[in-house]
Amino acid sequence: MPVTNEGFEPVIVAFCCNWCSYAGADLAGINRMSYSSNVRIIRVPCSSRVNPSFIIRAFQRGADGVLVTGCHPGDCHYHSGNFFTRRRLSVLKQLMEYLGIEPQRFQVRWISGSEGAKFAMVMNSVAEEIRRLGPNRKLRDVR
Amino acid sequence: MKKVAKTKLSELFSSMAAEAKLYVPALSDGIVNFTLWQEGLTVTLTALNVLVPPKKFFYPQTETVLKYEWGEDLQLEDFACKAGEKTILFAARPCDVSSFAMMDKVYLDEPPDEAYRRRRENTTVIALGCGEPDETCFCRSFDIDAAKAPGADVLAIDIGLELVLVAQTEKGEKLVSAQNGLLSEATSGDENRVKDEQEKIEGRYVTSVSLRGMMEKLDGMFAADYWEQLYKRCIGCGTCTFLCPTCHCFDLQEYAAGNRGERIRCWDACMFADFTQMAGGHNPRPSQKERVRQRFMHKLNYFPRQHGDYACVGCGRCVRKCPVSLDILEVIREAGGADDGM
Amino acid sequence: MAAVIGWRKKDFWWQSPVVFLEDPADAHRLVWDPFTIYSPVKFLLDWQERCNAKVGIFVKGCDSRGINRLLQDKRLERERVVVYGLPCGGKADAEKIRASFPAKEIKSVSLLGEQLVLAVGDKEERIAAEAYLLDKCLTCRHPNPVVYDQLVWEEVLPRQKADESRFARVQAVTSMASEERFAYWQRQFERCIRCFACRNTCPACNCRVCIFDQAEPRWLGKANDPADTLNYQIIRAFHVAGRCFECGECERICPAGVPLQEINRRLIKDMNEAYGDYEAGLDVTDQPPLGTYRGEDPAGFDES
Repeated sequence: MPVTNEGFEPVIVAFCCNWCSYAGADLAGINRMSYSSNVRIIRVPCSSRVNPSFIIRAFQRGADGVLVTGCHPGDCHYHSGNFFTRRRLSVLKQLMEYLGIEPQRFQVRWISGSEGAKFAMVMNSVAEEIRRLGPNRKLRDVR
Repeated sequence: MKKVAKTKLSELFSSMAAEAKLYVPALSDGIVNFTLWQEGLTVTLTALNVLVPPKKFFYPQTETVLKYEWGEDLQLEDFACKAGEKTILFAARPCDVSSFAMMDKVYLDEPPDEAYRRRRENTTVIALGCGEPDETCFCRSFDIDAAKAPGADVLAIDIGLELVLVAQTEKGEKLVSAQNGLLSEATSGDENRVKDEQEKIEGRYVTSVSLRGMMEKLDGMFAADYWEQLYKRCIGCGTCTFLCPTCHCFDLQEYAAGNRGERIRCWDACMFADFTQMAGGHNPRPSQKERVRQRFMHKLNYFPRQHGDYACVGCGRCVRKCPVSLDILEVIREAGGADDGM
Repeated sequence: MAAVIGWRKKDFWWQSPVVFLEDPADAHRLVWDPFTIYSPVKFLLDWQERCNAKVGIFVKGCDSRGINRLLQDKRLERERVVVYGLPCGGKADAEKIRASFPAKEIKSVSLLGEQLVLAVGDKEERIAAEAYLLDKCLTCRHPNPVVYDQLVWEEVLPRQKADESRFARVQAVTSMASEERFAYWQRQFERCIRCFACRNTCPACNCRVCIFDQAEPRWLGKANDPADTLNYQIIRAFHVAGRCFECGECERICPAGVPLQEINRRLIKDMNEAYGDYEAGLDVTDQPPLGTYRGEDPAGFDES
């Protein structure tokens, strides 16, 4: 896959927690709210299931942006999962930025099952941000 | 014998770089490595040796072997036949240069490794003789003369403000004559300086070991207690292996996705726990003892038995860089002198 | 005890490697000098597997936090180890000494108070130790062992400037603009030869099966590609986040000079600012920051 800027269509991988964000995605769909087709959703039981290695691997395998969405802290289906997510992924995000990865490439958002509109809006705005940023070159595998 | 003033070196580099990929020793955050020369790069001639040995030019840490793709039929792209760009290696030390002939015995032995062969053919090696060996240098113990480099295409000797250049092979002659405009004729005074440097170095070593009977001694030491005592502090990293000019083991890995993939060859280290790990779960070298024993038996017994040389050039990198100071000097001294354990 | 782990002297003036003494008669081989640096703590994991008997170990302040690390990570049983604590005034950096003195003529180096005494040729040189100490010693906040069965000699005072300089390098790198920072890290990681010395020596890296050794799934490839090396560097630092006790061994032994402490300490600083000051390896009953949470944790992401 050539990595150029013209006609660039970003690949966004979104890890969505089953109970809130994925339901939110469903709701967006039911209400015919369209959102960017650049987003590929991977459903996980809880946002805390997301291992930092998943995020790095997504970037290595061609993702230009990675999103992790989960329940609002306090509303986690497993009670405390997203509290760990919050600590873990904010530490990871700061580490990646420190090493020079653009901050917009990896983002975490809290989206509940009733926030269909927010889901669509977040997906669209992230896709647009990444489109403007350009392809991910720093973490992309050459093989 | 030709020579070039050190002040004119960047002109010489510029000229050589127009013809080939020129690699020179350069400093980066305190570490010296062979770096692709470009205008403005500060070349280091005073550091005794680079960190990563020049074996990487013939046997790179990572290289593509082939690529494949299944479409209507199988498309296969071989990379070995494309390997090797015109390269000039400047200021390789005599110890490292000796390692090339040793690696040739492995990689050019029938059938020759095509990628390696092409890289060797397309590279011109300019050695830089050493003036002052470090305390960790013991190349002399392997009959390597730090002021000469018989395996190099050109030998450069530092005589103060200038470098004398002696072409030693046809490739070397070609390079020297191509750069003739930037070089001047060495005087007889210069030639005497060269002889001086080459003789003086003899007395400057502080470390030496005797290899006499080493290989034979190790013949009977596979089951010796010595390894039980030695191995315990080895942490199983790849520092010694990757920095060793003569280590040459590799792994083949595949990067496959859907209907296409790429096979690569990369450095591997017998110090790693999974070096001999087998698919069924069995590992014939289950603990660090077997792995440490393997390293030194290979270098001081198996390789010399098979190829006639000790697989060590006395460069001292393992001595300087091993985190736990477990190096070949120790093994040569202790195993060479020990009878059966300590 | 099955063995006592300490340090001995080897051929060169800067070599004081770890030794495993199994015979009390060999006790005279133990040394304590400016080069008894290598942290012996991780070897306890191997000894535990090999035998059931107790093992004795000599530890400096930094090393002792590694003992707590292993205890807290449930990788070591306290009753199986006898800890001899050695308060430490700092260790010498052989490279710094070599830069100022002719290495081949140095016979010995010893620490006397705030001075290093060098036997060079047939002369004795006395130099202010601070300029020749390891970088990690200059930022040491715990020179006295924090866990021990026996304290071998009197405690020492922590270095005065240790606190000021602890995050200095992190701040310097942080102050670079994003693209400049990426170029900086690229230059550092370009030299990484993927030897895993950092991971192998680190007591916080104590998983029975390391993620980087897994073949299925293969999280880390074997190719020395920049993206994969970046993968290694990010995940290694992340996996010790909240558990790293700043012993500095990873950075010290890295053959390629990758400034690992600049990454480890960045994480520590971030977590201190977000979740409160915390130092790993001091109290085995505390909660490492990534192993716990509070409802009021700040996010760094949107909270709406």
